[in-house]
Amino acid sequence: MRNYNLTEDVFVNPGNMGCPGCGATIAMNLALKALGEKTIVTIPACCWAVIAGPYPMTTLKVPILHTVFASAAVTASGIRAALEYQGDNETTVMAWAGDGGTFDIGIQSLSGAAERNDDIIFVCYDNEAYMNTGVQKSSSTPYGTNTTTSPGTGWKKTRKKKIMEIMAAHRIPYAATANIAYPQDLINKFEKAKSIKGTKFIHIYASCPTGWKIPSEISVKIARMATKCNFFPLYEVEDGIHYQLNHVGDQSVREYYKMQGRFKHLSDDDIDKIQNYIDSDFEVLLGRL
Amino acid sequence: MVSEKKGMKLENTVSLFISRSAHRSSEMNKTGSWRFSLPVYKDKTAPCSAACPTGTEIPRVEMHMSRGEVRKAWEKIIWENPFPAVCGRVCFHECEGACNRKNLDSAVGINSLEKFIGDIALSESYTFDEVEGTTNKRVAIIGAGPSGLSAAYFLSKLGFLCEVFEKESEAGGVMRWGIPSYRLPKNILLDEIKRIEELGIKIHCNRELSIDEFNNIKNEFDAVYLGCGLGASISPGFEGESLLEEGSIFLKRVESEKMSLDGQDIAVIGGGNTAIDVARSLIRTGAKATILYRRRKEDMPAFIHEISAAEDEGVKIVELVSPTCVKHKGEMLEIDLQEMTTGDIDSHGRMSVRPLGGKRSLIYNKIISGIGNQIKDTWHSPDQNNSKMELKNSIIDITGDTPLVYGGDLTNKNQSVSDAIASGKEIAIVLDLHFKGDSDIIDSLEKCRVGVNAISFEIYRGGRKQYKEFVEFKNVNIDYFDKEDRNELPQISKEESINSFNEVEKNYTFQMAANEALRCFNCGVCNDCDNCRVFCPDASIIIEDGKRVIKTDFCKGCGVCVTECPRSAMGMEEEKV
Amino acid sequence: MNEKVMEGSHAISEAVRLCNVGVVSGFPITPQTHIIEAIAEHCSDGTMKAKYINVESEHSAMAAIVGASSAGTRAFTATSSHGLALMHELLHWAAGARLPIVMGEVNRALGPGWNIWTDQTDSLSQRDTGWIQLYCEDGQEALDTVIFGFRLAELVNLPVMVIIDAFLVSHTYEAVSVPTQDEVNEFLPAFNPRIKLDLENPQALNQMASPQYYMEMRKSMQLAMETVEDIYDEVEDEFHDTWGRRYGSVEGINLDADVVFVTSGTATTTCRLAIKDLTDKGESVGMLKIKMFRPFPAKGIQNALKNAGKVAVVDRNFSFGAGGIFAQEVKSSLCNLKDAPVVFNFIAGLGGRDITTDTFFEMYEKVNANDIPQTESEWIGINEQELK
Repeated sequence: MRNYNLTEDVFVNPGNMGCPGCGATIAMNLALKALGEKTIVTIPACCWAVIAGPYPMTTLKVPILHTVFASAAVTASGIRAALEYQGDNETTVMAWAGDGGTFDIGIQSLSGAAERNDDIIFVCYDNEAYMNTGVQKSSSTPYGTNTTTSPGTGWKKTRKKKIMEIMAAHRIPYAATANIAYPQDLINKFEKAKSIKGTKFIHIYASCPTGWKIPSEISVKIARMATKCNFFPLYEVEDGIHYQLNHVGDQSVREYYKMQGRFKHLSDDDIDKIQNYIDSDFEVLLGRL
Repeated sequence: MVSEKKGMKLENTVSLFISRSAHRSSEMNKTGSWRFSLPVYKDKTAPCSAACPTGTEIPRVEMHMSRGEVRKAWEKIIWENPFPAVCGRVCFHECEGACNRKNLDSAVGINSLEKFIGDIALSESYTFDEVEGTTNKRVAIIGAGPSGLSAAYFLSKLGFLCEVFEKESEAGGVMRWGIPSYRLPKNILLDEIKRIEELGIKIHCNRELSIDEFNNIKNEFDAVYLGCGLGASISPGFEGESLLEEGSIFLKRVESEKMSLDGQDIAVIGGGNTAIDVARSLIRTGAKATILYRRRKEDMPAFIHEISAAEDEGVKIVELVSPTCVKHKGEMLEIDLQEMTTGDIDSHGRMSVRPLGGKRSLIYNKIISGIGNQIKDTWHSPDQNNSKMELKNSIIDITGDTPLVYGGDLTNKNQSVSDAIASGKEIAIVLDLHFKGDSDIIDSLEKCRVGVNAISFEIYRGGRKQYKEFVEFKNVNIDYFDKEDRNELPQISKEESINSFNEVEKNYTFQMAANEALRCFNCGVCNDCDNCRVFCPDASIIIEDGKRVIKTDFCKGCGVCVTECPRSAMGMEEEKV
Repeated sequence: MNEKVMEGSHAISEAVRLCNVGVVSGFPITPQTHIIEAIAEHCSDGTMKAKYINVESEHSAMAAIVGASSAGTRAFTATSSHGLALMHELLHWAAGARLPIVMGEVNRALGPGWNIWTDQTDSLSQRDTGWIQLYCEDGQEALDTVIFGFRLAELVNLPVMVIIDAFLVSHTYEAVSVPTQDEVNEFLPAFNPRIKLDLENPQALNQMASPQYYMEMRKSMQLAMETVEDIYDEVEDEFHDTWGRRYGSVEGINLDADVVFVTSGTATTTCRLAIKDLTDKGESVGMLKIKMFRPFPAKGIQNALKNAGKVAVVDRNFSFGAGGIFAQEVKSSLCNLKDAPVVFNFIAGLGGRDITTDTFFEMYEKVNANDIPQTESEWIGINEQELK
């Protein structure tokens, strides 16, 4: 095993308000390692709106602008425009939204920024439900999930929105998936995103022990399994059409599903069905390479 | 007044209290209070270390090697073993048999790495640190084999003054005379011995002691260590056995004479390493070698890789034949063989054999016995009447004024260089404890135990802690390790092998060694991989003075660091409420 | 300074250009479109250096300039009606963040049914968002208000909404006196934000605030609001020094008359004509124009109306289940006044229906006909047939 050779610089402070084992906090730490101190972050309503700390504290060593739920992307656009007006073309502006602020309420503003190709990095740290408000279903919630708004037998029977395909359809210069369990890959992608002008979209798989009903200590392990079973493949899309796969998973989804309380009601048949979904999605992805 | 606009500041007149962090870090938020259990850095014992007779902390050796820190790797080894270059060639390497990595692909080449590190130490002339302080106690050591020299090494490190009495013309014992140079080149051995000698040890060669001299020495020294090995060969016990040449003598001759046995047909009786060493040496003298063994090939006690190397070189193995008689047949020797067949598994788990009806006779130019050795003189073993401490690798008799300690092949179940080193170390610590007046030597020794058999000199000296927990394969996070082929040592050509006593196995290149060391899981040993810090959701692991520290003010006890530690060098501990 | 004939919309866009605004966001909605079209053109032809962001909704329009203003740049957007309603969330956010944003707002009715004509209910629905609201009668006032609006906003750290009537101002060409750039530069210093995202001094802005702090933050907004009237006056003094014009938070004519109309927006212009006619006929009638609705200049209004006989508030807006919104505010500002005049409330001109001098004559007659109002608010010109 070769060790990660990540910078010792840390741009997050301890004392964050995240739940124990929060994947989204790991994601931020890694992202800022790549982006460095010349970064401005805007955060809409999401777990991170809390994690970053209530008045009068801050969890980040870079400026944060908290904004409303729907507006992460365009707030970043506004910051970027202001910096450009002031002659600053160097500072990275990053919108940092959860899946709700990306897939659902934030998608309009995100689509607008992407269409304008505003020079921002939009990050969705995806924990697959409205976790901050107590685990309600989002359009990122995968098929088969129990949430507080898809409870009991009312578990979600529709599939997770393919946000990457939507973003690729905007033909933005760079879109990539990343995973907290693959730090070097994640950092590489942020460094790449930083070097490209225009709208960059990074979709990070960020586990949520609270919402997924898993022990906190397997937070990273479960995220890794998601990629190893192709539930969450790691890939990049340049200019919306040039696909590159970073990791080929070779495991079945069964164990991944079985380890999580949010899926515990699923039968073997349900999981077989999910496996088919995953396989066909992965086929589609391979076809785009 | 607004009209003074150019210089006007309203900061103090218009209230502006908004939700902003005002430069205050979330460090004011002590999330550590949320915690129920706390991660701790906790080194553990790796199975390789536990299996190693010398208790070497192999994971840390490989950690240094993987970073290219050869000197540190060597320093780690010599805490427990003064013969890395020798052991890297001749050790049974039970470590590799225990290696967790073999459950993933194949064991780490620990033995080969030891050879690489040992050889670099020789070529770079690394020396042992000088000993500081002395106990002024003098210890006589009988036999300059691996146990005697190791005893001298460890005793010297503890401040004892050692003199070694060796019956042969040169030191080394079985390493010098019993292991052929194609496995252990003479210069390597001599260099490692020289380094030990340089600690200030006197080695008296050509001094085979009589019992009277032994008794004089007992009076003259504060303690005596007997590590003189098994000086007599075991009699095969059949008619005409006097016509056989003894294997150990043959091997000694091969070392000292330039022998040519071109075209001769020579048989070797036995199935142990001595038999294989003899047969492979014979090949190198130009002879045709046949091993006659009374059990099956798979029952041979010799190393499997040695057996197959012998066969590769042209050694013929005849299984399931038991010699009953050897006699002259002209200039040749004829050996009568009883054909054997397999029976039941015996109490030692070994397949028993019993005679089958058939007999046959074979004719050879010469027949060599490679069966094994036994104690030469009765005073080489402790007095049956005295009470003794029987330890794992030695026996101590402190009934007289002068403590007598027996070790090496005289006491060891496994007769190997590594076990002999373990004896030397064990007796050094025991004598130290004895002279310090330790009230419970057994217990004190246990505190230095690594695994089941080994004693750690480093633990004894406080250089490392004793790790109670062991790392099993299931404790390793194999998500971090991809399957990777083991780096094997390159070999000289077969032609060169069978026509010379040149060392068959060459060495790693530096890069190969580093790569192979990188395969090591470093079970139970923090190698600064940084996963714990990288994955800490709470930024509560920091590096302070080069070491990772858990900031308990903030750690929420999620346990991610422990799970993501690839090598089980961390653990969770319940919080005291 | 030079006189130009221009639309009210362009008076606003011209002011924005002169104010060295750094970021403008825009989303089209009739009747506001001419403002952002003109700015887009200025940005495109290089006569304005601002970064123009073509957003995909008004919600984003405000979010964009919240971002831009927080990053330390003077920022502007404009909207109307449904656009303003969609922005509502961000209006609170901008004010709570204490950002000195200026926004052009063209009063237009809210649907359904779709109606693009003037009506103040859209902006008045936003009265509790923490924005300063300044209503304008014509293009000149709109231009001037944008310029001193930025000055005011930046002094008190509250956003300013500059409000004009749909079509009656936005699409009406009038002669407008346009200041020179040098004059504006002199009046409006370079933006020196008190709140800024700063790499040198990184902090979090607008983060979660617990009950322990939230109330003080709100009180701070109110304290700032309480300074607005005085600072507004001082800013206007300066403005007057340079350009010779001033509007006041309120403007009164014949305030001790028997009947005093209270108006806002273009209804004021009509009212000016109506009271002139009535005065010429010997009637005792006056007028109070309310320009500043937030903060509500209660003291000024009390002072202005204390000697009036009867007060008639004309509202081109309505709060359902209550009454005209200006009337409610005027009544509440007078309620603790000893011997306060009675207050009549007339609802007129909703959804772009004309308010003419005849409308005022009708209201005048109704006020004279009764000592006290017969109803909370009287709707003028209602065709009762439609309601059957």
